[in-house]
Amino acid sequence: MSDLLAGEWLKLRTSRLLLVMGAAAVALSTASVAGTVLAAGSRELADPGTVRDALSLTGTGALVVLLLGIVISAGEHRHGTAADTYLTTPRRGRVLAAKVAMGAAVGLAVGVAMALTGAVVVAHLYDAEGVGLPVDGGEVASTLLGATVYTTLFAVLGVALGALVRRQVLAVSLALTWVAVVEHAVIGLVPDVGRFFPTIAGQALVRTPADAMLAPHTGGAVLALYAALLTAGALHVTRTRDV
Amino acid sequence: MIEVRSLTKSYGDRRAVDRLTFTAPAGRVTGFLGPNGAGKTTTFRCLLGLAAPTSGEALIDGRPYRELTAPRRQVGAVLESIGFHPSRRGRDHLRVLARSAGLDGRRIDAVLTTVGLDDAADRPVGGYSLGMKQRLGLAGALLGDPSVVVLDEPANGLDPEGVRWVRQLLRTWADEGRTVLVSSHQLAEIAQVVDRVVIVRDGTAVVDEDVAALADQQVSVRAEPIGPLLQALADAGVDHRRLRDGTVAVGGVGADEVGRIAAAAGVVVTELTRPSAVAALESLFLAATGNGAPTADPEVTTPTRPTRPTRPTGTTEAAETTGPAGPTAGDGPAEAEEVRS
Repeated sequence: MSDLLAGEWLKLRTSRLLLVMGAAAVALSTASVAGTVLAAGSRELADPGTVRDALSLTGTGALVVLLLGIVISAGEHRHGTAADTYLTTPRRGRVLAAKVAMGAAVGLAVGVAMALTGAVVVAHLYDAEGVGLPVDGGEVASTLLGATVYTTLFAVLGVALGALVRRQVLAVSLALTWVAVVEHAVIGLVPDVGRFFPTIAGQALVRTPADAMLAPHTGGAVLALYAALLTAGALHVTRTRDV
Repeated sequence: MIEVRSLTKSYGDRRAVDRLTFTAPAGRVTGFLGPNGAGKTTTFRCLLGLAAPTSGEALIDGRPYRELTAPRRQVGAVLESIGFHPSRRGRDHLRVLARSAGLDGRRIDAVLTTVGLDDAADRPVGGYSLGMKQRLGLAGALLGDPSVVVLDEPANGLDPEGVRWVRQLLRTWADEGRTVLVSSHQLAEIAQVVDRVVIVRDGTAVVDEDVAALADQQVSVRAEPIGPLLQALADAGVDHRRLRDGTVAVGGVGADEVGRIAAAAGVVVTELTRPSAVAALESLFLAATGNGAPTADPEVTTPTRPTRPTRPTGTTEAAETTGPAGPTAGDGPAEAEEVRS
């Protein structure tokens, strides 16, 4: 298994994928966080809600990480490297396990990078304005931790979805449509249902200030459940379908 | 050693592989031939654990691929469907393979040299030609120094020199005692190197023979006049065809038997020859597949008619209805060579 993990890591390192998408995720998060703070007037800066808003956006890049996860698994089918991978490791469940583990590790790393960058940017901008942070350190920490867990789970969701669907373009389209259209529509129309959907549940974990959210721990558990279910489906498809 | 036993692979109602049985022994080059769509690639995918057989089995050294303990050390495979990440360098592709399989990465430089990719190894694969990708695929197959080599259309995309190079590799591997199974829809590419031939059509093996034995079963004969000889052969129930150049191709019996039949009929034989193994293989391939695979070598175009017990019905009928004055409605280019009068 260690050989397999090392191989997966080498795959990521030897294509431009990780660098490009990891940087895009951090850039997107940082821009969202900075934009929120910069757009606030001095009175709003003193409002704890503004900081909560800004910090919760450290998880914005999770969407890019979701796509990165999809490419980690479905990309092998897109480029025809899946057959080679399974020739090396015919026990395909192990391949998926290695990819999920690698996805989670990458998601965690990018999540930490986004959280730290976001925190530094918020602190720096407040400092520049000469305004003290209107929230305590514990709240900052739990928001950043939530964003990191959220990003990690999104990476796993992406790997599982990519392995389940196999066709990269289709998987990316499905993911974007779901997040941008379906969840938005449902949370608007039927909030009691919508808050159990993956992204909305995950936003509770990131402590996005909004009504109709689940409690943070419940949101995290719901998101983890989606990741587990999708991974189980991906495992079945990976083991049984021809390459 | 590779053993395929009654292998069947269905996609819905269509049987891509239909009760296919053959073996590829160690130390020999086994050619796996057939027209495009005959089921060659599907057979390889089943053999390599990439597709699950509907029934039957395909074994490598007695076990299914998925049960091999160190598959890259046991089997080296190149399939057309195997691709490369375009932004990854050739050398990195091999590093990934070595790392994932727990192979010695120090062999990478050696195999890159073997396949002639030293200069291109540090460039992204996206810029490689088809031939270079074939070479990189071969490098990957060689990395684990495997005892079984399975190559699907390895000559595709290679120039004539590259094709010859592949043939030499195949010969070397077999001489080293490895099992070599190589598919092609272009017989001429590998005819000179195969020791054993399996010809598939519609997912079924129509020929499974040692090449050396093929030539023994084919005779080319000329006689003056030709009519009585054709009659005598027909009376003896011997499979034969009259060809456009005036010779008669006889299958299923040796030269001695043809000589005896001619003598008994009082016919003067002016020429009695056995074709080369390559020529015999060529005519067998054309007869078995009913497809005119082009050949670059004029020597192997001599049309003769083999007799194979497993030959498809269509061509069998064509051969058996040929008589002294019998025009034949052929179903392929092999028949086009016959005299139509």
